[in-house]
Amino acid sequence: MRFTKAHSYTIAFPSGVILLAMASHAVADMRSLDDSEMASVSGQSGITLEMDLGVTADRVSYFDDGQGIHLEAFRVGSASDSSGTAHHLVKVDIGSDASLNLDYLVEDRRIEFGDIRLAGAPGLGIGGMYFDHSLQGFLNIKSGGAVGGEGYTFDTAYTMTGGRLGYRTNGNEVFLDGITMDVEALGITLDVVDDTLRLNAPRVVGNWQVDAIRYSGNPLNHGVSVDAGTGALLPSYGGLSGQYDLSSRTDIAAGGRNGQGLRIDNETTIHSASFLYHDDANVIALRDITGTYKVNDLRLDVTSDWQNRPALALTLGSMEGHFNIGAIEMGVNGKNVGEVNVSFLFGDRMFNGRTYTNAIYLQGGGHADAGPQGLRLAAEWSLQRADVSYKEDGNRVIFSGLQSWGRGDVTVNVTRDEVRGGTRFYDGLRVGFEGVSAGYRINGLRVGSEDAKLQGGTELLLALGFYPAYEFELDGHVTLGAGGASGEGITVNSDIRIRNGKAAIIADPYDKGAGEIRQKGLWISELEYDAHLRDMTIDATEDGLAMVTGEAWSTMDIGNLRVGDKSKGRSFGRFVLQKYETGSSMAIIPGGAGNVCVGGQGSSATACQATGGIWETRGDEGITVRLEKKLARALNDTRKNAFSWETNRQLDGIGNPVNGTGTGLVLNDIYTSDGGDFDGDGLEDNAFGIRTDLAVDVYQTKVLKKQDGPDSLGVVGAKGDEKIMDTGAAQGYRYTSNPTPGDLNNRPLGFAVKARSRFKELSINNIDLVHPTGGAQTAVYGVKMQNFDIRANLTATPIP
Amino acid sequence: MNHKLLSPCVRTPLVCFLLALPLSGVAEMSPLADEVLSGVSGQGGIYLSGDIRINEVGGPIENSYFGRCDDATKKCGARFAYRLKETGGWLVLDDIRGSFAFEGLTLGLTTIDSGFAGDGDLFNGDALELGLPNTVRFSDVRFKIAASNAPRPTDPGFQQTDIFAVEMQGNVIMEGNLLVFPAGNP
Repeated sequence: MRFTKAHSYTIAFPSGVILLAMASHAVADMRSLDDSEMASVSGQSGITLEMDLGVTADRVSYFDDGQGIHLEAFRVGSASDSSGTAHHLVKVDIGSDASLNLDYLVEDRRIEFGDIRLAGAPGLGIGGMYFDHSLQGFLNIKSGGAVGGEGYTFDTAYTMTGGRLGYRTNGNEVFLDGITMDVEALGITLDVVDDTLRLNAPRVVGNWQVDAIRYSGNPLNHGVSVDAGTGALLPSYGGLSGQYDLSSRTDIAAGGRNGQGLRIDNETTIHSASFLYHDDANVIALRDITGTYKVNDLRLDVTSDWQNRPALALTLGSMEGHFNIGAIEMGVNGKNVGEVNVSFLFGDRMFNGRTYTNAIYLQGGGHADAGPQGLRLAAEWSLQRADVSYKEDGNRVIFSGLQSWGRGDVTVNVTRDEVRGGTRFYDGLRVGFEGVSAGYRINGLRVGSEDAKLQGGTELLLALGFYPAYEFELDGHVTLGAGGASGEGITVNSDIRIRNGKAAIIADPYDKGAGEIRQKGLWISELEYDAHLRDMTIDATEDGLAMVTGEAWSTMDIGNLRVGDKSKGRSFGRFVLQKYETGSSMAIIPGGAGNVCVGGQGSSATACQATGGIWETRGDEGITVRLEKKLARALNDTRKNAFSWETNRQLDGIGNPVNGTGTGLVLNDIYTSDGGDFDGDGLEDNAFGIRTDLAVDVYQTKVLKKQDGPDSLGVVGAKGDEKIMDTGAAQGYRYTSNPTPGDLNNRPLGFAVKARSRFKELSINNIDLVHPTGGAQTAVYGVKMQNFDIRANLTATPIP
Repeated sequence: MNHKLLSPCVRTPLVCFLLALPLSGVAEMSPLADEVLSGVSGQGGIYLSGDIRINEVGGPIENSYFGRCDDATKKCGARFAYRLKETGGWLVLDDIRGSFAFEGLTLGLTTIDSGFAGDGDLFNGDALELGLPNTVRFSDVRFKIAASNAPRPTDPGFQQTDIFAVEMQGNVIMEGNLLVFPAGNP
């Protein structure tokens, strides 16, 4: 028996209406089976349905309170033949328990729509999506749900092969290619509880793999792995794979945030999961993932955003949960960086006198110059609280009380290398930022456990490249291209501009337990930051993760370096740091410093201690960052390495200092060199640069009291006494003059950094003194530093 | 919190001399009495310990001038050269080597609202506080002061006159806090 589908549908929901506007044509004709086909059908119980399905529709629409969202150019058919059909074979059987059993085989199916448009936004589309797959599996449906006989129970398992999931804007595509997936979900129940549809999945297990994430900038390509012109495989960002074992409960109810719409509540527990990124033969793996999250009052509406732009709105009541990543592995031997744990709560909260919510308003268009198709996310977020912990070799540090807030537009386009509408675009997935005003701050550190005393010391994050607190206004883009330094990988081009930035170098807690207080610190204020990055490749390698930059330049203009309050604290003046690098690189390698002699010399504990050092066994885990910074000679006023400090600026009419009117010190044209032209190209070689290795571990360290009497928390000790962590002590620690071996195992935790920095030659072309009326006068006509090899072992802990 | 004058107690005369040089600008400071310190409250920050070693076995350049430290015919230390006239010669700190170890260098903030002979009350604000380590160990710290006609020893016609050499060994006791006040006109 063979069926051909050619129907029009109108499906109504209580909270809205989905309308399939027009089924444009029937794709296949109905015909009778010939004898040879009939011969392959043997007598079985049940029914076998065989379909070659081809459905097209000009538009599928969803209306909510009179506002519509339209899925245009909808099609179900063959994935490999744009005019073909998808083959379906379904065996229907009724079990002895009156259950309905469907064994199905779906071959070469594509479900796609060419664009998504919102009524009221003519000429703009979100872009098209398509989903290719072949499926084989079963679905068993029984009457009776979890709470009574009115519901249903489902058992299902399937294997998906040949999957492809793509997003297309303006003729360019990014897609997941070669998706395979095995899923088993048994005992799923569907019930109506009061006015809510409840879907309960007690256990869903599966594994999945994406062979490659590919990019195409050729409009002739659509849902194919090879380029239509050259026949070559399209470039790949790399592949993904993973497995999961989870359970979840989802409640769906009618009613949006305003009028019609949907409400979704969900609670999911991840019993185990893994996530792997594959770059050629190298893997970065997140393993032993566990956690739970709860989504409360997520609403779906077709409405308008705060600028009255038509949008599909996802607004969130709250979301909380926690995740644990048991191991982060990279490199050829899968060496572990350590364990990361995150707990979080998203919910409405006031920051800086303004209430922030959690909402995303999806709109069409993307970047205005990229073409009519693209995704614009008018987003607002409010992270009330998060704790992020890092644990390696049994030592755990918790960055406590992370809060974040922000609002602005994020655009997503798939772009190609061109100048369009006056804007430079690059090959890849472009994520743009327009008028994003955002910030974050961290309250303090806890060591060992969540209930440990809050300490200062968030400045330790500077060792990892993060400010303890940061507020900014952000514009710009990051474009992620496919292909790394060789083969698979990622190529990044970006242009970022930050305005009115306020970043903390040192930060006190914003809440010491008695409510929010003014966060004091050493602040980079009135920051204007322009940063540009060209052709930075990111690859997973045999060692870990490698980033190589083609060209990078930036200007960091710190209007005031303030002490105390971020806006009103007294200022050290204005600082401007310009950077220009070509061919710089960074590698992230698993594993920290290993065994280290701090403050002494020797390769054994005995030899180290004999020279007055402390022998530290920092273990196998941790992280090493290997930097190679090649400072290029000045190309012009914006692409150079320079540093300037300006004070005594004149004030404008409202008392703000005017840049460029004061006295200044300028270190101009700072650059590295190998010390000569050794390859005979007429230019000085610059292959060595400044090479820095940083091995970072969380480790116990010796902390001595510096004064007699009580410290800032009132803990009494004598000068020279050692600080020992003690959960039985009132403040979580005590001082002792003669630590026992047991005490030495409870020394405070902090970051231990083993560093080595080398350069062959570092030069400063000139050092000028600038007078507001006399102009610049050169004080030093050249500085040349040669043959430096500086090694350091530093441990950093919060001040007692 | 106790803020004392920088009071280096030095076990080697040379180190004492060298440390005195950068401190000349604060020569009129005197130890603060306890009552002066009453207006200073503690803040957050970090506590640093460790060691720093410069050219322990040599640097990255190996040529006719620079080499490994076990090669007596070469210099294995770092070199720092600068000149104050556009067409003049170069003042050089050459063959810089050595190691420093310290415990308890702190970096944080503090509020100054009294003391300092009345200046604290007038300042009434926050300052950057650098807590000096109690002990700094110098090991084989050495360098030469020299004058040369070219920045690189490998430049054609290179000539250099070594003026004197410095070597340092021993422990330096550095107590107290260095306060940096943002008190000027930014």
